[in-house]
Amino acid sequence: MSNEPGMDGSLTDALVRSRRYFTRRGEVSDDLRTLTRTGGRQADDFYRDRWSHDKVVRSTHGVNCTGSCSWKVYVKDGIITWETQQTDYPSVGPDKPEYEPRGCPRGAAFSWYTYSPTRVRYPYVRGVLLDMYREGKRQHGDPVAAWAHVVDHPQRARAYKAARGKGGLVRATWDEAVEMVAAAYVHTIKKWGPDRVAGFSPIPAMSMVSHASGARFTSLVGGSMLSFYDWYADLPVASPQMFGDQTDVPESGDWWDAGYLVMWGSNVPVTRTPDAHWMTEARYRGQKVVVVSPDYADNVKFADEWLAVAPGTDGALAMAMGHVVLKEFFVDRQTPYFTDYTKRYTDLPYLVTLDAVGDAHRPGKFLTAADLLTHEDVENAHFKPVLLDGRSGEPVVPNGALGHRFGETGAGRWNLDLGDVDPLLSLLEPGAESVLVELPRFDHVDGTPGSLRRAVPVRQVGDRLVTTVFDLMLAQYGVGRDGLAGDYASSYDDATAPYTPAWQEAVTGVPAAAAARIAREFARNAEESRGRSMILMGAGTNHWFHSDTIYRAFLGLTTLTGCQGVNGGGWAHYVGQEKCRPITGWAQLAFGLDWKRPPRQMIHTAYWYLHTDQFRYDTFSADTVAAATGTGRLAGLSTADVIAKSARMGWMPSYPTFDRNPLDLADEANESGRPVAEHVVDRLRDGSLRFAAEDPDAPENFPRVLAIWRANLLGSSGKGNEYFLKHLLGTDSSLRATEAGESQRPRDVVWHDEAPDGKLDLLLSLDFRQTSTTVFSDVVLPAATWYEKHDLNTTDMHPFVHSFNPAIAPPWQTRTDWDAWQTIATKFSELAAGHLGTRTDVVAVPLLHDTPDAMANPHGVVRDWKLGECDPVPGVTMPKIVTVERDYAAVGDQMQALGPLLDKLGTTTKGVTYDVTASIDYLRAKNGTVRGGAAAGRPSLARDVHACEAILALSGTTNGHLATQGFKTLEMRTGTALHDLAAEHEGKQITFADTQAAPVPVITSPEWSGSETGGRRYSPFTINVERLKPWHTLTGRQHFYLDHDWITELGESLPVYRPPLNMGALFAEPELGSTGELGVTLRYLTPHNKWSIHSEYQDNLFMLALSRGGQTIWMSDRDAAKVGVQDNDWIEAVNRNGVVVARAIVSHRMPEGTVYMHHAQDRLIDVPIAETSGKRGGIHNSLTRILVKPSHLIGGYAQLAFAFNYLGPTGNQRDEVTVIRKRSQEVTY
Amino acid sequence: MDVFLWVIVPYLCLATFVVGHFWRYRYDKFGWTTRSSQLYEDRLLRLGSPLFHFGMLGVVGGHVLGLLVPQSWTDALGVSHETYHVVAVIGGLVAGLMAVVGMAILIYRRRTVGPVFSATTVMDKVMYAFLAVVIVLGMWNTIAGSILTVGGEYNYREGVSVWYRSFLAFQPDASLMADAPIGFQLHALVAFGLFALWPFTRLVHVFSAPVGYLTRPYIVYRSRDPKLGSRRQRRGWERVG
Repeated sequence: MSNEPGMDGSLTDALVRSRRYFTRRGEVSDDLRTLTRTGGRQADDFYRDRWSHDKVVRSTHGVNCTGSCSWKVYVKDGIITWETQQTDYPSVGPDKPEYEPRGCPRGAAFSWYTYSPTRVRYPYVRGVLLDMYREGKRQHGDPVAAWAHVVDHPQRARAYKAARGKGGLVRATWDEAVEMVAAAYVHTIKKWGPDRVAGFSPIPAMSMVSHASGARFTSLVGGSMLSFYDWYADLPVASPQMFGDQTDVPESGDWWDAGYLVMWGSNVPVTRTPDAHWMTEARYRGQKVVVVSPDYADNVKFADEWLAVAPGTDGALAMAMGHVVLKEFFVDRQTPYFTDYTKRYTDLPYLVTLDAVGDAHRPGKFLTAADLLTHEDVENAHFKPVLLDGRSGEPVVPNGALGHRFGETGAGRWNLDLGDVDPLLSLLEPGAESVLVELPRFDHVDGTPGSLRRAVPVRQVGDRLVTTVFDLMLAQYGVGRDGLAGDYASSYDDATAPYTPAWQEAVTGVPAAAAARIAREFARNAEESRGRSMILMGAGTNHWFHSDTIYRAFLGLTTLTGCQGVNGGGWAHYVGQEKCRPITGWAQLAFGLDWKRPPRQMIHTAYWYLHTDQFRYDTFSADTVAAATGTGRLAGLSTADVIAKSARMGWMPSYPTFDRNPLDLADEANESGRPVAEHVVDRLRDGSLRFAAEDPDAPENFPRVLAIWRANLLGSSGKGNEYFLKHLLGTDSSLRATEAGESQRPRDVVWHDEAPDGKLDLLLSLDFRQTSTTVFSDVVLPAATWYEKHDLNTTDMHPFVHSFNPAIAPPWQTRTDWDAWQTIATKFSELAAGHLGTRTDVVAVPLLHDTPDAMANPHGVVRDWKLGECDPVPGVTMPKIVTVERDYAAVGDQMQALGPLLDKLGTTTKGVTYDVTASIDYLRAKNGTVRGGAAAGRPSLARDVHACEAILALSGTTNGHLATQGFKTLEMRTGTALHDLAAEHEGKQITFADTQAAPVPVITSPEWSGSETGGRRYSPFTINVERLKPWHTLTGRQHFYLDHDWITELGESLPVYRPPLNMGALFAEPELGSTGELGVTLRYLTPHNKWSIHSEYQDNLFMLALSRGGQTIWMSDRDAAKVGVQDNDWIEAVNRNGVVVARAIVSHRMPEGTVYMHHAQDRLIDVPIAETSGKRGGIHNSLTRILVKPSHLIGGYAQLAFAFNYLGPTGNQRDEVTVIRKRSQEVTY
Repeated sequence: MDVFLWVIVPYLCLATFVVGHFWRYRYDKFGWTTRSSQLYEDRLLRLGSPLFHFGMLGVVGGHVLGLLVPQSWTDALGVSHETYHVVAVIGGLVAGLMAVVGMAILIYRRRTVGPVFSATTVMDKVMYAFLAVVIVLGMWNTIAGSILTVGGEYNYREGVSVWYRSFLAFQPDASLMADAPIGFQLHALVAFGLFALWPFTRLVHVFSAPVGYLTRPYIVYRSRDPKLGSRRQRRGWERVG
C-alpha cells in the first residue's frame, strides 16, 4: 500500500499504466494524472471559428421597448450570425451599479428576422389592384390618371378593397410600386386635399431618422401625422393636467436613489427587463419595494409587500393613501418639509372661488388678479392666480404664473421666487367662517354619480367667497378638522365615507390596515429622506378610461410628500420609449419645419373614432360620464359632437379640417379677393363651409391615403380592429355591434343612413416582416432592419444617445426608410410637376401649449361660436387659419436638404426659441451642400447619416452651445440663473461618430425639466425645484385643482376615484362574473407580453419556442372551472366588438373575474376560424373599441392646451369585458 | 429471387452502410451522438443499459466467432463439433439473454418515461423495431435451431457462415443462403436492413465508443502543433515566426 496520492484505485492505476502497451501517443505523468500530447488541437478550429467574425457592428433595436440597449452585431462571410450585449456604457459613478448589462432574450433573438421566412424581401402590391392600375396606365398613359381609373370607379375600388387581408399580394418592382404610390398621393391631394393624406409612425426615440423619413414627406406635402402617445393610451392625461409637461420621468438609475419604491401597474422584470436590475440592487441598499397588482405578476416576487388590488380600482387605494397622508402629515401633525414644499411648488395655497348652488357651494374658478381691484389692470390678469400671504393676510399675486410667461411685464418674473410672502395653506383658524361644499363621488355600486357635503373654511376677498385648494383637498379626501361640519370620515374605519382606508377595502379588496400602513411608510420615508419615495407606474394603471383620475391620485401622493423634482422620488411613469432626447432636431426634420410651418398633427384617437365609424355604435351620450355636481354642459351631446365641438373651437386639431379641399379653399378665397382667414370665417358663419368632423361619413371627408411605417396599426394599436376592417378597409370583419338608435345619435354630427365601407383608397406599409398590417396593405415596401441602417436611439430609461449601424447592406430589395421615402418623394415631385405645381394650402392650427394661445379661454370657460356664445375669431375661439405655399414639384428636393426657414425662424421647443445659424453652417461643412434644384446651397440630408448629424446638431441635449443659449434665453423670462447647468458642456457637439463609438450621455438642456449636470442621475423637475423655474401650468405650480368647465362637469376638479366603466350599462354586455349559455363574462385586459415586445418577436422562432406560441388567453382556475375549460383548451372570447379564438392558459396566478390576453399577438401565428363568426379568429383588439373621454378634448386653456403627443384623448381599452366559452377542440384554418 | 435476396439486397445494404457513414460523418458531425437520455431518467437506465450493451458485446463476439471463423480452423485446432456447439450455445444464451432483458428494460423505459419518450425520434422507433426483431430472431435461431432443433438440425457453420464469408470476399454464393432455414434467412435479412439504417440512427455511436478512456488519465494537455496555429495557411499570407 503506497502512501502517495493516487488515482481512483489500483484497478484504475493499472489500466492507466497499461496504456503504454496500446499506444505510444502522449506521455503519462509519473503520478498518472495527466497525459501530455503534441498537437491534436484541430477541434479548436470549431470554437475559434465560432468566435471569429469579419466584423462586429454596434446597433440596437427600434422596437419601443424602452430598453434602448446597445448591441454588438456579428457578421461572418456577409451574414449576420448573432448579437450580444454591448458593455461600454459610460459609468454612472463609483457609488452605484452600472447600466450594463442591458438586453433581454427578445433582443438577443432579433437577428433571426434578417433571413426569416417572415421577411419582406421585395415590394408587394395587391394583385387585383396592380392589374387594374396597369390597365389604367395602358388606357391613359399617365400614372395619376391610372390611379384615378381604379379608385374613382366604384366597382374597381370595391374589388381591391374587398380583397384586403385575403392574400393576393404579388411582387412588383420598386419603380412600379413607387410610381403607383406617388400617383395615389398626387391624385388624392389634387382631388380631395392634402389633409386627406395621413402618416402613422410612432415613438421617434426608437429610431429618429426612420420616423422622420415618412413624417417629413407627409408634412411637406401637407398631410397629417397621426399622434401615437394618446392613441396608445400611454399618454397620462394627468401629466399635462398637473405638471403642464408630458412624461418627464427619471432614468432607471434613479430608482437606486429611492428609499421607498412602489411598483404600481408596471411589471418591471417583464417590461423593463434591462433596467430591472436597478430595482433588485436597490433593495440591498435598504429600499423597500411594494407591488400593487391584481395578479401574481412577475414583479411581485421581488416585493417586500404585495397589495392585490381589484383591476381598475387603483385610484381608490391611492385616494385612501392620500387620506392617511393628509390626516397624519398635514392635519394631526404639520410636517415642515411637506408644508414648505407644497406652499412653494404646488397650487395648494391658491384661492378658489365658491359658487352658491342651492343651500351649498360648489368649487368654481381660481381667483385671479382680474378679480382684485388692485390688480385688475395688470397684463394677463386672468392668468395670474392669487393666494393669501400668511403674514399680512392680504391677497398677493405670486410670480411664475402663466400670465408672467408671456407679455412684456412678465419678463424676469416667471419664477417661483415667493420673496417675503409666506403662502397661507388653510383658511381654518379659530372663529373662521365655513360653508358646506358639494363634492362629487362615483363609488356607488350601480355606478350612478352621487355627491357629498363637507364644510371648508372660507373668507371673503372682494366680492368673492374663496377657500384654498388645500382646504378643498382635505374636504375631498374626507379629512375632517375641528369646527368643520359635513360628511367627514369619523375614523379610518369609517367604511361609508370616501376616502378612508376602510372605504377602499370594500372597493379594492386591499386590507384597510395595509393601505394605511403603506401610506404612512411612504410619507414617513419621504419626510426623512426629503422626497425619496417613488411610485413606478405604467400601463396597468394608465390604460383605463378614467386613468387620468387614477394618476392624479398617484401624483397626489408623490406631490404632497414633496417627492417631485427630487432624485429618487416622484412619479416614474414608463410606458413606451417616449423620450426622444434630441427632440428639437428630430422635430425639425420630421415635420419639415425647415421648409414649411405649421405642419398638420392630428389626435389619433379621435381620428379613428370618427373614420372607422366607431361613433356610430356609441349608444350613450357624452354626459353619461358627468358628475352629479355637473350643470349639464355636455347634455344632449354625443361623443362625436364633443369632438366636433372641440375641433371648431380650436381646442384640438382636426384633419381633414373642412368639407372641401384646402387647396381649393385657398383658390376660392383668392377669387373672392379677401384674406383667406376672413373668407373662411365668413363661409363658416353662413354655413357654406363646415368642419369635416361634423360629417365624417361624407366621401369628401374620408381619409384617403394612409402610410404606416415602423408600426403595426392593425396588429397592435388599432382599438376596434373589426371596425377598422369594415369601415376603413372595406373587407370582411366579425363586427357584431349594432348601431345607435335614432334617439342616441349625434346632435351636430351628420348621420348617414348607410355607413360607408372601405373609406381608404391606399394603405401603404413599409416593414421588414409580415404583420397584420402588411397583410391588409395595398402596397408593402420592403424595409431594412435595425441591423441594416444608420439611425439614432434614446430612451427614458437611461441618459445616453447611441446609434444604429448597418452590419450588412439592406439585403434583397430592401431599403432603409430614409431611402424609401426619398424615392417616393422624388417620384411624387415628378408626377406633381404636371398635376399640382405650386398651390396654396389652408392649414387650421389648434391653440397650442407653451404659446400665448394657452390664454385664449380665460378661466377655462367654454365658448362655442357655433352656438352664438361668441364670435368665431381665429386663434381665439376657433383654430388659427394659416396659409402655406407648397411647391409640390420641389418636395423631392426639400426632402434631401435642410431648408432655409431655420435661418429665419430658428427652432422652438416648449416655448424656448433657439438661433441655429451656427448649427446650419456646421452642417453645411459636415454634410456638404446641395447643388442645383430647389434646395441649392442648403446642407444635405441625402443620406441617413446626414439626418443623424442634423438631429444632433440642432438639439440642446446633444449640442452644448444650443443648451446654454436656450437657458440664457429662458433666464430672461425667469430672472433666475440657469445656464450654468449646461455650461460644463458648452463647447460639446455630439457627433454621429461619437454615438458609433459608444453610448454618449446627453447634455442638460431646457428641452427637459431635469438635470444631468455633473453626471447626476436624471430626475424630472429638478430644475423647477432647485432653480425655481415654473411648471408650464396656470399657476406655474403643480396643480391639484383644475377649474376648466368640462373638468368641473365631470367632477374631476380634484383627485377623485372613478371606477371602471360599466359595460353592461353602456353596451348591454352581460354582467361581470355572470355565467350564461354563451359562457362566463370576465374583465378583459390586454397587458404586455413576456415573450414579445408588442407584436415584435411573438412570431420569432426563439420566442415561440420559449413561450407557448400562438394566441393565448390567461384565466384563473376558478373561472376556467365555471365553463369547463382546461389548460391549453381552445376557447372563444366574444363580445359585441368581435371574436377571438385562442388557447387558454389556466393559472392560479390570475385573479378570479379577469382574463389577460397579452396584447399584439398578431394574426399571423396559429389563428383558426372562429365558430362564432365563421371567419378567422381575430386578434386582441377584435374585442376592444375606442372610447373617448370628453375631458381629454379640452384645449386652449393654460396647461390644458394641445401639443403633439402632449395632450389628446387616450385610446384606452381596459374597461372592456368579454364572454369566454370552450369551443370545439377541432380547429380549422 | 435468391440472387436478389442474398446478393443484391445485402450489397445494397452494405453500400448504404459504408457510404451512409461517410456522409453522416461529413455532414452531421454534431449529430454524431448516442442521443443519451440519462438526463431524463437514470434508474432504469443504470440497469438496462449495461445489461444490453455487455450482452451485445458478447453477441457480437459470438457472431465473429461463428461467421468469420471457418469450421476448418476450429477442426484444425481439435475443437470438436460438440464442444464448439456447447460453448457457442451457452455463450450465446447468456449474452443473448442479457441483451434481450436489457433491451426489454430499455424499450419499456423509453415508452413509459414521458420525457424519454418525448425525446424519441421517428428514426429511433424504426431502429428499435429492427433491432428488436433481429435480436429476437437471433435468439430464436439459437434456442429453436440449436437447442430444441425445431425443423431438424442445421449447421450454420457450413451454410450461413460460408455464404457470409463469400459475400465479404465479393464472390457471393446465393444458394447457400437459399437452403438455410427460414429463421436464419429472416435474421440475416432484417439484420441487413438494420445495417442499412445504421448510419442514419444513433447506432453510429458504436464507432465512437470511448475505448481509450479505459487507459487515459483524466487530464490531457495538448501542446501546440509544430506548425503555427491550427488553421490551414491561407493564400497570400505568410506566417511570421
